[in-house]
Formats: sequence, C-alpha cells, structure tokens
Amino acid sequence: MSDTPANDDEAQPGTGEDDSGPEPDGEGPPESGGDARPDPDRPSVLVPLAVLEGESLPTGTPELLANARVVLLGYHVIPDQTATEQAREQFGEKAMSKLDEFAARLAAAGADVETRLVFTHDKETTVDRLSYEYDSLAVLVPNSTDRVESVLVALRGTVGASRNARLVAGLFADAGVAVTLYHALDEGESRGDGEAFLNGVKSDLAERGVDSDRVELVVETGDVPIDDIASRAESHDAVVMGETDPSVTTFVFGMPSEQIAERFLGPVLVVQRERPEE
Amino acid sequence: MDGPEPDETRDTAPSPADVEDPDAVDADTGEGELERTIGLAGGLAIGIGTMIGAGIFVFPGLAAENAGPAAAASFAIGAVVALLVALPAAELATAMPRSGGGYFFISRGLGTGPGAVVGLGLWLGLVFASAFYLVGLGSYAGQVFLEAGIALPVDPAVPLGVAFGVGLTALSVFGTENTAALQNAIVIVLLVILTLFLSYGSLDALGVFGAESTPERFFPPGGALPVLQTAALVFTSYLGFAQVATVAGDIKEPSRNLPLAMVGSVVVVGVFYVVTIFVATSAFGSARLGEFGETAMVEVAREFVGFPGALAIVIAGLLATFSSANASILSASRAVYAVSRDDLIPEAASRVNLAYGTPHVALGLAGGPIVVLAATGQVELLAEVASFLHLVMYGLLCVALVRLRREQPDWYAPAFRCPAGVPVAAVGGVASFALIAFMQPASIGVGVAIMVAAYGWYRYYATDVELRGDF
Repeated sequence: MSDTPANDDEAQPGTGEDDSGPEPDGEGPPESGGDARPDPDRPSVLVPLAVLEGESLPTGTPELLANARVVLLGYHVIPDQTATEQAREQFGEKAMSKLDEFAARLAAAGADVETRLVFTHDKETTVDRLSYEYDSLAVLVPNSTDRVESVLVALRGTVGASRNARLVAGLFADAGVAVTLYHALDEGESRGDGEAFLNGVKSDLAERGVDSDRVELVVETGDVPIDDIASRAESHDAVVMGETDPSVTTFVFGMPSEQIAERFLGPVLVVQRERPEE
Repeated sequence: MDGPEPDETRDTAPSPADVEDPDAVDADTGEGELERTIGLAGGLAIGIGTMIGAGIFVFPGLAAENAGPAAAASFAIGAVVALLVALPAAELATAMPRSGGGYFFISRGLGTGPGAVVGLGLWLGLVFASAFYLVGLGSYAGQVFLEAGIALPVDPAVPLGVAFGVGLTALSVFGTENTAALQNAIVIVLLVILTLFLSYGSLDALGVFGAESTPERFFPPGGALPVLQTAALVFTSYLGFAQVATVAGDIKEPSRNLPLAMVGSVVVVGVFYVVTIFVATSAFGSARLGEFGETAMVEVAREFVGFPGALAIVIAGLLATFSSANASILSASRAVYAVSRDDLIPEAASRVNLAYGTPHVALGLAGGPIVVLAATGQVELLAEVASFLHLVMYGLLCVALVRLRREQPDWYAPAFRCPAGVPVAAVGGVASFALIAFMQPASIGVGVAIMVAAYGWYRYYATDVELRGDF
C-alpha cells in the first residue's frame, strides 16, 4: 500500500489559515480512498521543539505526521533578564539551520512543513499564539516511537469529538493504522451511553475514510482517568487526547496531557479546543 | 572574534521592508521572531515596582527634614515633571518599540554623540539608582534586627546593602526562573499594605479617630527653595517609568500598553507619594521624621497601629526596595546590551551564556559598580546622581521628540501621539534641565564628570558609528 500523497499544486494562496471554515462537516466527505486530497484538508499539527536545548525531532515523528500540515515551531525560552533580541543575535542562525534539517526530514516523509523560530520568555504564550494563527487541530508532545501501527484515542465527551475525528482520519485513514477509541465513564453515565457515544465517533471516522474494521471501542469505569489512559497507552504507539482547561489541579500537577506524555514516553497529540470566532 | 560583518546591521536607509506594523510580533528576519510576553499588568508592575520602593520607604524622613510638610509639594512637582516627560516618552516608545528605552530614542532621533552620552549615562544612572535602593534595602534589613531586639555594634545598613547587591547580581546571572510573576505578586502585596495603611493614616490625620493633628507650618523657613531642592532629590522615585521603555521589545500591543503603563505608573506612585508625606508629617514633626532617617515610615506605622503596623511596613519596605534594586540591576544590564548592540562599546559586553541564557558580562558590568557604590553609603549623593543622569536623558528625549515632530522622517509613525506634543515636550525638557540646577554641587560635579567621560569614550571609540535614523 503506497500512501505517498500526491504533492498537489493546489497550494493555498498566501495565508491559508483564516478562510478554512471551522467545520467542513456538512460538505461531502473526502472521496474515500482518494489519494489526491487538497491541502487544506490535511490536519494542521503544531510541533514545538526546544531546538537550542538539544531537543531534536524524535524517531518516528516524520512517519506519524506524514499526512499532516506540520507547523514546526523551534523555540528558545530565555530568562526575563535577557532581551529576546540578544539571544536571537547570538543563536538565531544555529537554531535556524537545525530547524531546517528537521523540516527536511518531515517533508521527506510526505508532510507539508512550515517552520517558525521564536525566542520567547514564555513557551505557553508562543504555542498558543501559533496554534491560533494556524488554526492547528493538535499540538504534538514530541516523544519517540519505533513504529506507528496503533493509536489510542481518549475521548471525554461530544464536545470536540469531531475535531478528534478529523485529526485521526486525516493522519491515519490511509496509513493502515489500528485505532482504539477510549472513553472513561463519568459519574451517572451508563455503559450504554458510553458505547453509543463511541459508536457515533466510529461512524464519523468511517465517513471520513477510516476503515471500521480497524476501529476498536473501549469503555471503562475508572477513578483516575489519567492513570487508566497512561497504562492503556503502553500497548499503543501514540495517544490522541483533548486539551484540558487550566485549573488549580492542572496548575499543581501539570496538564493531563503532559503527565501522560511523561509516563507513556511516546508521542501525544493534544487536540486543541475550537477557537472562538473573533 | 572581533567585528563579524559589522556592515550588515548598519544600512542607514530604511527600506520599506523595515517599516513594520509595530503591533506585530517582530517579523522573521530569517533568524527567528521575538515573542512579546508582557501585558499591561506586567508593564505597570515594572513601572510601579521600580518606583515605589524609594519614594515611600526611603525618602519621607529625608524629604521632611529638608522641606517640612511641603515635601508633599516636592513629590507633586516631581510627579508633574515625570508626567511631562512620560507622555513624550510614550509617543517615542510606540514609534520605536525596541528594547533600550530612552537611549534608543535619543540615538535614533539626535545622533550617535548624544546617544552615547545618554546610553552610557543610563547604564551608570541605573547603577547609582540600584546602589541607592540597596542602601535602603539594607536599612530595612537592619530594622529587622532592631525589631527582633538584637543589638548590633555597627549600623548594618551598608554592609547588608552590599551583601544584597552581591546576592542579587549572582541571582540574576544564575537564576533562570522567570521572575515576572513574582514581581507582579510583590507589587500587588505592596499596594494592598500601603492602601490599608495610608487610608487609616489619612483618616486619623483628618481627625476621624479622635483629635485632629495640629498641622505645622506648611512651608519650611527657607520658602520655596528647599521645596525645589527636595524635588530634585526625590526625583529618583520617579525613574521607573523609563524602565518600562527599556523592555519595550517585550510588551504586547505596544501602541496601547506602553503609554498606559508609563503614564499610569507615574500617576499611581505620584498619588501614593503625596499621601504618604501627608500622613507621615501629620504623625510626627518634620524634625522628628528626619531623625528616623531611611526607615521613618516604620515609626509612623508604629505610632498609628503599634508593633503589627511597624512589622507590616518593615516587610513592605523589604519587598519594595528589593524589587526596585532588582529591577534596576536588570535594566542596567539591558542598557549595556543596547549600547553594545550598536557597537558603542565592545560586542563582548552583550554575550549571552548558553548554559543560563543570561548576559553575564552585562550583568557584571552592572553589579560590580553597584556593589562598590553601595559600599559608600552616601544615600543622598547616590540618589541625586541617579536623578541627574536620568534628567539629562529626559531632557534630551523631549528635544528628540520636538526634532522628530518637525522633521517627520518616513519611519517615524507613532501609534500614540502625545496631546499638544511640542509644547508638552518643550516644558518637560526645560523642567528636567531646571530640576538639575537645584541639586547639591557635589552631585552635579559627579554627573557632569560622567557625561564628559561618556562623550570622551564616544570620540575615542565610536566616531564612525552613525545611528541617527537607523531604524
């Protein structure tokens, strides 16, 4: 199965992030099996790398993102006492050449790549700004993986589920990857509810070209979803999960996606919330 | 490794590509873009945090001794002069939202010579200011021992100030934690303590809690002269708004946030200063306040609410002078970077070490002289020299505004235009230079010597650098 995406020439004129409507749902689904998908349908994924701290593109990332529009964000966090300009003057060229090297590897695997290099005092501000600017579906927590054969998709509820589906279908529909949809039951939610929810997502995926035979459903009751997801992730190659609203808990323990990435040690795609219309 | 491609950064003709939307994150030059991370609250915190330490926690005793209750007028005069300069400075900052502050505006508006005098003067002005804040910090740290009942054989203010100077410099070289959040928290705590204290004090002074205090004669025996002299002395408490401009490159939406942060912080601290002097002089006679020296406010608080009040003011004083000293050391290092970027001093001064990401040479050039000056313990001299060097910058900054308004170069497109710009700048400039005349001869002597030395350095080292209009 060759999945080389034909490098179509329908490149978007100029900007490319403003006019792609948030949900092209109602429009006809992409012709299943069609190799020549137009660019904007490729899911946009932001890949932040601390280039100057020796962070490099982890093994397996080019394969994972072969079907994505990748925004490769090289960043360098500078303490407040240093002017960002000062660091750029000294390290800009070096960082840029490293970043170009990584971009070439991603492009070789088939991804559309755009690189940005940012000197910042605060990583979150930079990642938020760029994921907003590119309307990124997901931000990657980069970790290495040997192969990309099965993916765990942790779903919390209907809100944002279609963005998850768009990402999974966009990245993996043509790649023959096994997809496990996972839902931890909330208080007062029955097993039937959970299964109905996941079945809905499954048919959404099927519409978007993901073979239903390759989709497995798991509904679970667990006290600590983070532990459950992290332990389940061990038998998969990558995790897709949603963004969590900042709260006191996330302030103290860190974002769930970060905690999972730390324990799972594989790549985690964090699906971004829908950006409010301005 | 001297002078790699020095020509590349110095094309004087601004090409259309250089004229960028000042609100945009700095455009990618092929070597990466620069994130703006400081919002309005952060900008105000820098301005207020730098200023409030001196005016409230160090000066009241000294100022009341010199000018009596009219010291409140001295602070008000300072606030007016600062506002007259802050408005033109805000306009220049939105036209040139780059790090370097006043130095950047003057070197671009008036040329390399004045730029060099101001740039080197700004570095040393901040060095003098930091040393002054450190002695204040030392006084409050010494007060802690006093409150704890530990008798010390010598006045601990100067040795403790020197120790803090060494510690803060080391912290800024090796500390890689971002301190912006801490600075914001300190400013909020300070404003809460001060608001409570000053509200209580004002009500008390007006006679709400018993007898109205008898006001002494408002003007001191010498008439207006001591008031103006005191205004020149305490002007050090208004230096912080320019520090906002030194980090202009980091401010989000600079066209909105820079003017608000600069003008807003002057207004806030100005009100606090005037009320503080009113409360302090109504609690004690001016002569008594003078005897208490740098920590007079502790005694004022003790008079009102006893030991808890004194304790609260000691803590607030420690926080305030600490944050002022810290902010000034960091600004001084930014000033060194700004002149070194323009090749006015060797490039080595702005090296950043990769391990900590901090400009260790520039921080050393700031921290070293600060410690030496703090060791002298000459509070009033340090404060006045700091004011002198800043006032020269403010005066020239007003001149730069007038000149840029008249010449209207292509690149000059400020998003904020100072209302009645030219008259305001003219009055602000004259007032800045006039205030210098009321300083002690020794301070003027030191200040002039520094300016002459800075100009001499420029003639010796950097005559071939042309900065005017290089934007």
